[in-house]
Amino acid sequence: MTPSPASEGRDTQVPSAKTLKKELEKGWRDHRAGTTSPAAMNLVDETGDGRLVMNFGPQHPATHGTLRSIFTLEGETISEADVEIGFLHTGFEKLGENMTYQQWVTVSDRMNYLSAINNNVGYSVAVEDLLGIDVPPRCASLRVIMSELSRIADHILCVGLQGMDLGAFSVMLWAFEKRELVYDIIEAVCGARLTTSWTRVGGIIRDVPEFFPDLVYSFLDEFPPLVEEIHMMLLNNKIFVDRVKEIGVVTEEQALSWGITGPIARASGLDIDVRRDSPYLGYDQYDFKVPVQSEGDSFSRYMQRMEEIEQSLEIIRQAMATLPGGPVVHDDFKTSLPAKDAVHNDMESLIHHFKLVMLGHGIQPKPGSSIYSATEAPCGELGYFIHSDGSDTAYRLRVRPPSLYNYAIFPRLVEGGMLSDAVAVLSSFHVIAGELDR
Amino acid sequence: MESTAANMAKKYPPHAALPTPLQKMILDTLEHQGQTQLRCMVPDHRALLENFKNEQGYQFLVDVTAIDHLGTDTPERFEIVYVLRRLGDQPHQFRLHAWLSENEPSLESVYDLWDSARWGERETHDMFGIVFEGNPDLRRFLMPEDYPAFPLLKDYPLTGKQERRQFPRVVPRGDQMVEEEPTDYPTSIGRGMHTPEYNEEVRRDSKPRQ
Repeated sequence: MTPSPASEGRDTQVPSAKTLKKELEKGWRDHRAGTTSPAAMNLVDETGDGRLVMNFGPQHPATHGTLRSIFTLEGETISEADVEIGFLHTGFEKLGENMTYQQWVTVSDRMNYLSAINNNVGYSVAVEDLLGIDVPPRCASLRVIMSELSRIADHILCVGLQGMDLGAFSVMLWAFEKRELVYDIIEAVCGARLTTSWTRVGGIIRDVPEFFPDLVYSFLDEFPPLVEEIHMMLLNNKIFVDRVKEIGVVTEEQALSWGITGPIARASGLDIDVRRDSPYLGYDQYDFKVPVQSEGDSFSRYMQRMEEIEQSLEIIRQAMATLPGGPVVHDDFKTSLPAKDAVHNDMESLIHHFKLVMLGHGIQPKPGSSIYSATEAPCGELGYFIHSDGSDTAYRLRVRPPSLYNYAIFPRLVEGGMLSDAVAVLSSFHVIAGELDR
Repeated sequence: MESTAANMAKKYPPHAALPTPLQKMILDTLEHQGQTQLRCMVPDHRALLENFKNEQGYQFLVDVTAIDHLGTDTPERFEIVYVLRRLGDQPHQFRLHAWLSENEPSLESVYDLWDSARWGERETHDMFGIVFEGNPDLRRFLMPEDYPAFPLLKDYPLTGKQERRQFPRVVPRGDQMVEEEPTDYPTSIGRGMHTPEYNEEVRRDSKPRQ
C-alpha cells in the first residue's frame, strides 16, 4: 500500500507543546461557538465569569451506570443542569421488529438487569394480552412470586446504594449479602442469575424444582430482620438523614405531569400502582397495601422502598400459601412452546415445537391489532406497545421504560441545589441505564 | 382470570363525550382485547388532546411513540401513538393514533399539556425524524449528536456499512489508493438533521486533518 500524501513529511515538523496547547484551546472555543447547549462541551472549562462547567459521569461511581450530567456550577451551587443519555443504546426496539415473539424474551432481561424477571414477565404478559390468552394459575402464581422476589432485590440494592453514596457503606454490604438469597432462588429456578430469560409467551420455561418452597420459606425467615437493621443503621445516621431530608422534592402535580411512576410517584403522594389499578396475573387475589408518602423528597423515596419491600414479602407469603398445582404452560400449543420432555418423547409436541420456532410460522397475532400493556416493575410502570401485522415478528415493539420518564425531571430537581445533593437525588431515583437507553 | 387489557379499559368511551365538531375528527374506533383505539388525522390531534386533558380529565400521558407504515396500504406513512390515562374514581385508558404524512413529517407538540411529552416526543424525533413543532428540546436523544439517520424507520438498512457510507473511503484502484466518493444515505426521509448541508458538514469533519 502506498502511503497517502497526507502522512508524508509529517514527522519533520514536530509542533511544540505551546502550539499544541493553543490549538487545543482554539478547538474548545470553536466547539463551543457552534452550540448553545452545555451538553456539547465535553471538557471541564472555566467560562471566565466564575462559572464552571462540570461533567458528572458517564463514568462516575455515583451514577451507577453510564449516565452523563453536565452541571454549570457557581461555587458549589448548580445553576444549570443538563443530562445526556444514550450511552447504552442497543436498539432493542429495532431488534423487536426483527426477532420472533419468543426470541425477544431474551432481549427483555437486558433492559433492567437488576430485576430481569420483571421485564420478562411484563413482556410475556403484553404478548399474551395481544393474543388474548391466559396462563395457567400455577404459572401466574410463580410469576408473581418471582416478580416480587426480584422487586425486593431491586429495592434493597437501591437502598444499599443510596446508603453507600451518602457514606453508609455497611448498609450496601448488608443489602448485598441478603440480596444473594434472592439470586440463589433465581439461579435454582432458571439457571442464570442476571439474564434470566425465564418466561415464555404462554408460560415459563419449566416448573420450579422440588426444593423451591424450602428456598423461599428460608428467605422469608432470613430476610425480614434486614429491614429493621437497615432502618436502625440509616435512621440513626444523622449525616444520612440530613442529606436526604427535603432534597429533590417532587410534588404530586409534577409527578402527574411528568409521567412519573413507581416508588418515586408514590413517595410524592401520587397513588398509582398497576398491580392494584389494573390487576394482571391475579394480583387482585392477594391482600396487599400500596404504601404512599407525602413529602416527595429523597428521604420519603427511601421510606417508600422499605415499605414496599414489606408489602412484597406479604404477597410472597400469600402466594406461597396458595400456590396451586398443575401445568405451567398454556395448553394451546399453537402459541406456547410445549415442555422439553414432551418435545423429545412425543411426535405431536415435536411438530408443535418446530412450527413455533420456524421463521414464518410461530405466533401470529391478528393483523393490524395493537396493544399497550403495562406491568409494575420495581422502577415504575413498564409498558409494552406492540403493533402486529399478522406475521411472527412484531411490526412495532415499543418499550415504555419507567426510568426514562422518571429521569426527565432530574435536571430540574438539581438546579439551584448543591452539587453534593445531586448525588443524593440521583441515588434515590435509581435510574437503570440499560432500560433508560434500551 | 380477566386479562390486563380488559381490566384497563372499563367502559367509559372517551369519544362519546366529545362535542360534535371534535367527534367528526375521529376517523374510526377500534376495540382489541378491551382496549380502545381512536384514529384521527394530524392537525386535529391537538384539539382532541386538549379536550381529553382539560375537559375529560386525562391527566396522565403515559407514552408517545410512532409507527412507520412504509409501503403498506395505510392513509399515511406515519402513525403517532398517544397513550392517555385518567386516574381517580373513573379510571380509564385509551390510545389516540394520529396519521402523519410522509411529505411533511411535522406536527404540533403537546409538551405544554403534559411535561412527559417532552422526552417522549424527543425520542420519537430521534428514532423517526418526525419534528414536533414547539418542543423546546429536540436534540438527538439516544443516538450521537452527529448521527445522520433515523434508525427506527423501516427503510433503515439492517446490513452493510450503513451510516459509515457517509464517510469517504480509500479503495485500491489499479496500483493506487484513491478516495471514493461517498454515497448518499439511502433513507427516504430527508428532513431534520439529515439535510444535504448537514451531511456535507459531517463528511468534511470526518476527513483527516491535512
